[in-house]
Amino acid sequence: GEVPSLLSAPPSAVRAAERWLDLGGGSGEEGSEEGYLRKTALRSVTLDSESAQKQEGSGSDSEPHTSCPSSVEPHGQEGEQPDCIKDDTDDDDAGICTVTESSSQVLQFEYHILYSCSYSSPVLYFRAFTLEGRSLSLEEVWSSVHPNFRLRLQNSPLNTITQQEHPLLGQPFFVLHPCRTEEFMRPVLQVAQDQHRPVNYVLSWLSVVGPVVGLDVPLKYSTLVHPASSVSSTEPD
Amino acid sequence: MPYFSCFSGDSRGMTTSVDTALLPFKPTTKHRQKLLLPRVSYLTLVTDKVKKHFLKVMRAEDVEEMWFEYEGTPLKWHYPIGVLFDLHASNNVLPWSITVHFKNFPDHDLLHCPSNSVIEAHFMSSIKEADALKHKSQVVNDMQKKDHKQLWMGLQNDKFDQFWAMNRKLMEYPTEDGGFRYIPFRIYQTMSDRPFIQKLFRPVSPEGSAHSLGDLLKEMYPDAITNDGEQKRYQVVIHGIEPLLETPLQWLSEHLSHPDNFLHICVIPVPTD
Repeated sequence: GEVPSLLSAPPSAVRAAERWLDLGGGSGEEGSEEGYLRKTALRSVTLDSESAQKQEGSGSDSEPHTSCPSSVEPHGQEGEQPDCIKDDTDDDDAGICTVTESSSQVLQFEYHILYSCSYSSPVLYFRAFTLEGRSLSLEEVWSSVHPNFRLRLQNSPLNTITQQEHPLLGQPFFVLHPCRTEEFMRPVLQVAQDQHRPVNYVLSWLSVVGPVVGLDVPLKYSTLVHPASSVSSTEPD
Repeated sequence: MPYFSCFSGDSRGMTTSVDTALLPFKPTTKHRQKLLLPRVSYLTLVTDKVKKHFLKVMRAEDVEEMWFEYEGTPLKWHYPIGVLFDLHASNNVLPWSITVHFKNFPDHDLLHCPSNSVIEAHFMSSIKEADALKHKSQVVNDMQKKDHKQLWMGLQNDKFDQFWAMNRKLMEYPTEDGGFRYIPFRIYQTMSDRPFIQKLFRPVSPEGSAHSLGDLLKEMYPDAITNDGEQKRYQVVIHGIEPLLETPLQWLSEHLSHPDNFLHICVIPVPTD
């Protein structure tokens, strides 16, 4: 059956068949401090032919990521046209989702979580391939992001997806920029502190940013607390 | 296969003149172009002439994204040209013969570069990361959009003064600190698969003494240092020269950084002949 997610990602046209690998451990070269967390997942994804082009430039300030769509959407049948999805938490996004011709295919996603010492925050790297081994382009990756998230990302140009070199592997990956991480993590950490609960910073962060790119964090992991990685304050050093 | 050869640009300032010489060609023969490339710029930013030139002689259907290769190694356009040269070709005969390709883009090795705005985004992202290390992003965040634009335009149009009018702000620090918070650097080598080493490193020790290039290497890449009595195995190269290991790191960061505000350091094996 489906594993309930800590933060539901609503894409009705996406179903995940997930095998968790290496979460909670590190795999990397010279010792665990240089390692990274890695997960591969097969996802059945609908790439809309009318894929959203990222808009260049911005006039307005980007929104802080203090909330994600919280409504739970039923997963649609494969091949069904995507439903129009309303985001109850944000009237501006009363989402009109264009129903288009689209094909559904199974893609292999690979997610890596690394730590940026420059920004003192985790960063999500990912890449995607067809089953034949062809890399997905940035446009295709954008079109696999659920329209709700896509809309938010387009309105917050600092929270965007770009291609970067993986700092340990040296290969091209897509990166979801860690902009405003501190801002959206602060409420999470504050609540935990108020309730005297330990927090796994990386898992909390991941449960917010992961669903944007199709990475769901199963509920069972949210209850795992690794004392070594818990922090009760945001500012290191 | 068409290819072009070029001379390594010199390391002074930001510019060299571009000197293109077209050799007589027939459509079926090798086609060479000569270019002088600035060390501090990026391959895809300065090779428009190359692209235009080959577009004239090739059929449109044969032309996909342009990419560069040297002796079988795809060249990463997002590294400064001088770094690529020092890393891959510095001990070889000039001119540096690079092969240009228009097919079979190696998307497992190279980032795509569909437009100059991608280069700009990459350049600005390096500047921002460097300032996060030097000043907790305070200086770059205090700049306006037009100031950021000025940094990029200075690089793109080869306007040294325009660039430095803004960049000097990124080189300041409180006198009492003795230097930046952390030094933005990357150490490159080709002996292993790891593309570069980048970690936190302060320019001043807790006791207040200035860290040197040698101190950085001892911490990050001890193999690069030759111990007493040993034969020298590696050269430590910045902008094509080997600075003395005693050189203060803060000074190197202020004076030998690339326009992206990073100190790019290449560790290369000593030539065997």
